[in-house]
Order: sequence, then C-alpha cells, then structure tokens
Amino acid sequence: MKPKVAFFDFAGCEGDQLQVANLEEELLALLGQVEVVSFREVMKEQSDDYDIAFVEGSCTRLQDEERLKQIRSNAKIVVAIGSCATIGGINSLRNYKDLDQVRKTVYGEQAKLFDTYAARPIDAVVKVDAYVHGCPINQKEFLQVVKSLLMGKRPDIPTYPVCVECKKNENVCAFERGEFCVGPVTRAGCDSCCVNEGTVCWGCRGLVDNPNENSQKEILIKYGLTVDDAIGKFKMYFGWQEAKR
Amino acid sequence: MRILSKEDFADFVNALIKDDAWDVIGVKAKGDKFAFGPLESAGELRLDYDVTLLPPKKYFFPQRETLFTYNLAGGFSAKNPAEAKPTVILGVHPYDIIALFHMDEIFRETKSDPYYFDKRKSSIIIGVNIQKMSKWNFSPFMGCATVDYGYDLMLTDLGNRYAISVGSQKGGELLSKYAKNVTEALARDIQLVGQKKREIVNMSQQKFDFSPELIPELLKKTYEESDFWERHSEKCLACGSCVLVCPTCYCFDVKDDPDLSLNQGERIRTWDGCLLEDFAKVASGENFRATRPTRYRHRYFKKGKYLFDRFGFISCVGCGRCSSNCLPDIANPVNLFNDMYREHAHNGVQVAVAESPKVSIQTEGNIDYVPNLATIIKKEQMTTNEMFLEIKLDDGSDLGHKPGQFVEVSVFGVGEAPISLSSPPTKRGSFEICVRKLGNVTTKLHMLKVGDRVGIRGPFGNGFDLDFLKGKNLLFVAGGLGIAPLRSLFNYVLDNRKDFGHVSLLYGCKEPRELLFKDEMVALQSRPDVEFKSAVNWCPDGEAWTGSIGVITTLIPQVSFDPDNIYAIICGPPVMYKYVIGDLKARKVPDDHIIVSLERRMKCGVGKCGHCQINEIYVCKDGPVFNYSKIKGVPEAL
Repeated sequence: MKPKVAFFDFAGCEGDQLQVANLEEELLALLGQVEVVSFREVMKEQSDDYDIAFVEGSCTRLQDEERLKQIRSNAKIVVAIGSCATIGGINSLRNYKDLDQVRKTVYGEQAKLFDTYAARPIDAVVKVDAYVHGCPINQKEFLQVVKSLLMGKRPDIPTYPVCVECKKNENVCAFERGEFCVGPVTRAGCDSCCVNEGTVCWGCRGLVDNPNENSQKEILIKYGLTVDDAIGKFKMYFGWQEAKR
Repeated sequence: MRILSKEDFADFVNALIKDDAWDVIGVKAKGDKFAFGPLESAGELRLDYDVTLLPPKKYFFPQRETLFTYNLAGGFSAKNPAEAKPTVILGVHPYDIIALFHMDEIFRETKSDPYYFDKRKSSIIIGVNIQKMSKWNFSPFMGCATVDYGYDLMLTDLGNRYAISVGSQKGGELLSKYAKNVTEALARDIQLVGQKKREIVNMSQQKFDFSPELIPELLKKTYEESDFWERHSEKCLACGSCVLVCPTCYCFDVKDDPDLSLNQGERIRTWDGCLLEDFAKVASGENFRATRPTRYRHRYFKKGKYLFDRFGFISCVGCGRCSSNCLPDIANPVNLFNDMYREHAHNGVQVAVAESPKVSIQTEGNIDYVPNLATIIKKEQMTTNEMFLEIKLDDGSDLGHKPGQFVEVSVFGVGEAPISLSSPPTKRGSFEICVRKLGNVTTKLHMLKVGDRVGIRGPFGNGFDLDFLKGKNLLFVAGGLGIAPLRSLFNYVLDNRKDFGHVSLLYGCKEPRELLFKDEMVALQSRPDVEFKSAVNWCPDGEAWTGSIGVITTLIPQVSFDPDNIYAIICGPPVMYKYVIGDLKARKVPDDHIIVSLERRMKCGVGKCGHCQINEIYVCKDGPVFNYSKIKGVPEAL
C-alpha cells in the first residue's frame, strides 16, 4: 500500500507547495509511490488519515500550535518544508521588533483582533522527523527526502556550508564580485543555486550546526559592510536560530 | 622544439574542435576569472590566464562521478559507466601538470583506480608556460613553476608565435595531424624559451623565508603545539574551500542515488574535504576530528608530512588557489609556514631537511567498486540493537578472509557500510557479521529478511597475523561490539586450539541484556582449555548475572599471566583502549605484546577516500589491526 501524504500550511507564502505542484514529469513518478490525500493548493479533497505530513510555514500565534499538534498526532512522519517551517524563515524578522507595533503596522485599528507571538519554526512546537530547507525548497532535494523516507533512510542533509557547492560548481566567489554573501555559514544542499545564477546566498537554509559567526561577520565588514548591515545579513533568515544560540 | 605562428595555432585548435573524435577543453574567461571548459572556437581560449578557479583534475576525478548504475528489478544488475571519450585539455600550467602527477601516484597506490586512469589515458595534455602569475602563486618555491615532463605538448608564447615542446608521441602525432606550417625552432627561439622559463621562476609575489624542503620536519616539531593551531584556525569557517579547489586533494564520499522507482539508481562518488565537520565522523556519532583546529592541522600535515612520508613529495604545487579562496585569509601555506618557521627560530629550535623516505609504490590490480552479490541465509536478533547475519556469496565462492578483516556491505539505494567479519576463515561456504543498528545501512540491514540480497566488497584490511600468533598465549579483551571482530580470531583459535598456548577471553558490556553471542559465552564456561571472564557495568534488579560488575578493566586483575609470554588482543569502544592498555602496561606487558583493532569511517576500503586516516595511517588498508608499539606515537590513534 502506498503511504498517504498530506500537505499543510501555516504562516508562509505557499511557495514550497508550489514547488511540489510544479514537479512536472517527476510528479507522476512521485504519485506512483505515494497517495496524496490533502493538498489544498492542488485538490479539493481532504482527509485526516495520512502517514506523512508535509508542513509549510512558521507558527506565529498560539492557535497555530493546536492545529500543528493535531497534525503531529495524525501523522507518523512530520516533514518541515521551506525556511518558514524549518528555521522560522523571514517571518522571524519581526521578532526583532515590538510585536504590538508589528500588529498595528499590519492591521491598523483592527490590531487587537489579531493574536500574535514571536514567529518560530515548527520544531519549536512539535517533533519534526525530517527537513527540506530552502526558500523556496529545491525540488530535487524534496524528492531526495521523499525517497529517503520511503526507503526508511535518514535524509542526507549536508552539515557543511554552501561554499562547498559553490566551489564544486566553480562559481566566482560573490565577495570577489564585490558582493556580500552568507554562504560560508549557511547549510548547503541547494547546489548553491543563487550564486550559480550570479547573485549571493541569503542564508535561506539556515545556519550550519557549528557556524563560525564571528569570523563570517568579520569578513562581511572586512569586505566593506557596516556593522549594522552585517548584522542585518544575519537577521534576514537566521533570526530564530541566533536567538536560540 | 617546433614553432607555430599564432594564426596557424588558432587553425590547429579549430581543426581539433571540428573533429568529433575529441572533446576539446581549454581555459576560458569566467567573469573576471578563468575556468577550464569546452571550447567552441579558438577565439575563446585564454592562454594569458593567471589561474583557473578549479584545477583540470575535474576532468579525471569529477565533482560527481557515477561508479556504477544498478537495477534491482529481476535480480540485480550493475553497469559500469561508458568509457571516457578522448579529450584534449589545452592550456594547463606546469604546476597543474605536476599536481596531476601527484594524483597519478595517489590513485595508483595499492589498488589502481580505473575511473581516474581511464580518463587520464584517453586525454592529451597541452600545457602552456605561465604568462601572468596569480599574486597568490608560490609555485617557484615548490619547484613547480616550470616542468619538463607530464605533458604531450607544451606551449611558450613568443609574441607572434608559439614555441612547442613535444613531450610524447601522442603529442607529436596530434601536431602533425592537425597543425599546418609547423617549423623546427631556431636556436634563437630555443634560447628565448629558456629565458622565459628563467623569468617565470622569479615572478612570484609570495616569499618563503626558508627552504620549503624543511616543511616536513618543521611540521613534525609543531604537531603538539595546540596553541599554534588554535590561533591560526580561529577564523576558520570549516567551509572546505581550501581543499575543494586544491589540485592535489583527492578525498571523496560514496553515496547511493536511487531514482523514484526506488528499484534502480546509481552509486556515486563526490568530492569531500577533510576540513568539513563530519569528515571523520562514524555512524555511532563519534567524530575522530571534531574540532576546527585539528582539521585545519590535518590539512597541512596531509600535504606537508603524511604524503611526503608515503610518496616522497610535498603534495603542494604552489598554485595559491587555497590562499585566494580563503575568505578569512588563513589558508595561505606561505604565511602559515613562515609563522611556524619564525616561531621555531625565535625559540632556537633547529630544523633539518627531512630524510627522503623510502618510497615503494606498488599496484596490485584495480579497485572494483561494484560489489559481489550475496544472500542473507540466517538472521538472528541478538540484542535490541545487534543483529547476527550469516551471508553467502551468490557465486558460491568463499570470502577468503583473515580474522580481523572487514567487508563493505551494500544495501542498494541506501549505501555501503564497513562491517567487521565475525566468523573465522575455518568456516567455509558463508561468513558471519554482527550489525549494530546505527546509521542508514545498518538500520536497513536489520530490516532485511533471510533470502534478501546484499552487496559485498572485500575483504579489506590487514587482519591478524596468524603465523605470528601461532604458539603464543593469548589474552582477548573485548568491550561491547568489540567482540564481533575479535570473534573471528577467537573462534579460529578454538578451531585450531592445539596451535595456541593459554587462551583467555575478557568480555565486558553495559548490562546483561547487551551480551553478544550469549550461547557461545555460556559454552565457554565449561571449556577447560579457555579461561573466560565477563563483566557488566551494571545489572538491573531481578536479572541473573554471575560475572563481575564493573568496567572491563575490573577483569584484568582476575587473570594471571607472565607478561613477557602473553599477547593481548583488544577491541572495543574508542574510550576503552587507554584504560585497558594502561592496566596491561601496569602489569608489565610490553608494548609490542599489545594488539588493537580500531574503528574509523571506512568508505572506500582501499586507502583512497581519506576518511579513515589517523595521522599518516589509513586504517582500512594499514589496519584495522595494529601492534600498539607501532601506533602509540600516533597521536590520533587512541
């Protein structure tokens, strides 16, 4: 029997689910291995009977926790997909601000109708069995993780930084192009896709397990960023991880 | 030496490109930098480059390479990749040519790597003498700025023409087939080439304050200075850039990549680097080089000492790629070695040139990465985490192993893991392993059923020296899963009991339920010709236990022996060795009477991938069995 899978979203742009919906040729092969029972972005059917739950988005209010815990108890395996779910993502940017102020900025006079708390990855609330990092997720890696789960194998998520992939791809280092990159402390696995296209690594996959943050900040400053901008580079995606460290 | 005008040279390159028999690779611009890539026309070729982002080794040892494709449908079939297409690589600088020569030595040692040499043999190297030198380049100091061997053709730019040295018959033939208007060089041009080469040697902007010949001995004197290494690696990002761009780095990882059918896929190898955090980590979680300073130190030692001792050359050609790619600027070997030299000189330490090591590189056949198919014929759960498996090779042959050796066991689609052999070679027709559920492969092995197929490579490693041990009194000391490899020797001894003297086995584990090979242990208690003692760290209430309570060393005082007439054979978790060895030494057992079997991350099994290295030693090939007297001075060993 094919395992049943379901997709869920919390605070996020649903871009990760879009990556799955856009798998094109691979989608058929994937559907040969799993049965999708809930996926709001592509189908109207729904079910609470599933083995694997893919969860996108971060938890941004207390009510989210209840729903997430329900998903956890329904599923055998919970997979966080996308930065918001795996590391808090850019939602965590607001954790640096006064949350009441944030609410007022977004909802104006209606602010008190909308609850909020510090944005957090889903593993801050429930146990997560596997991660597909990235903003958005990389389709190849998503399939890699799915294959691993189907084979009963721990997904192979790199513990080294993006520089490894950049070097293998023979990219000109962003710093040498006069740009600023956080690839040296960001978890690889994206095949350095942004730098391959001539831009920089923004850190969407989160910090590696043991980042040398001081050295990275020093480098940003050595190459010409102000201290504030260097800190800003870290805030973009690493907010939740930094607060925890 | 020949001469070819630049116009005729461009025609030569275009003629090569036009001929489909060749893939033509050359140096091209990439942003403000340069890279080797496929040439579409001679106009793209930039022989005036300073250095390429990656060295040309990527054409012989690619970033990602298929070792074989497999298909599990209808049994199992494996296919090796297609043969390499003939390739011309244009514009290789002398230091990169010498680096390839280093790679050749590494890839042919012990077992030759067919993937590398297939591509090497089908390629033609057209070198070019350096015109612009990168500011990080220190190849003149390493004797690698110019070269007289290792190329098929070597170009020197003489303004409106190239001087071409023909280095091989293949090169000469290529020139006569594809180039027009080639003339013999006049004395004036030969002289000019000599002058250019002398100029190149003075082009480096880097400077060694001492002769690089001193590097091996200098390193030797600095190993223990942890302060030195911590200071220099403080800013290390562990990003691996320095090793990934290195023309002489060869470490790799091996993985399985199944397709979505899960029935077929490929086994691949990818570049790896000793600076990366998990490089020396084994499935149990033990990381044998867990800190940045130790990994940083390992890189310098590997280049400047370990490979020197093994091959007789310092495995650095001075290309400067590591220096230019290191963002915190701590990877420049010139700076590090100058600092090292200065600190030693300041402390009045004399450093001599290292004696040239005796090098004898032997090649015994090719590495075969395709495993032999085998079937699980017996499976027995021994404890919650340990599974006993009896396996038979499908071709009916004996594995032909020695006690103490290991095999690489494949579960296709999941990967390969090194596992010690538990059965003695006296057992014919099949072999036994004991598998602890730790990583992906071992977890999957626990889930397989009798009749399921696995892949087997090996046996690998040296194993125990049976001839030497014959007639000796033996004291086996096993901790936990350490009994698994020792059992192959222990049972061999039992099967040939009259060939050995007094035999004792001390076996310890955490608690009674973790005891392995329980029935055999019970049977030992009634054997008059074997002394058996066991201990558990603790025994839960209500469980029966007649042995001792305590760590393994509590058993040592319980056996009496003449230290000069006993050989101790030890295997267990990493933490165990120093205590057991300490207690044996306290009992006056000489160092060379202590034999250990060590665990490391063994990926290739043939001394290539680099993961199992402890200092200069490859555990998979030089071990896993070591005489303690030989490794007691090897700091990373115990």
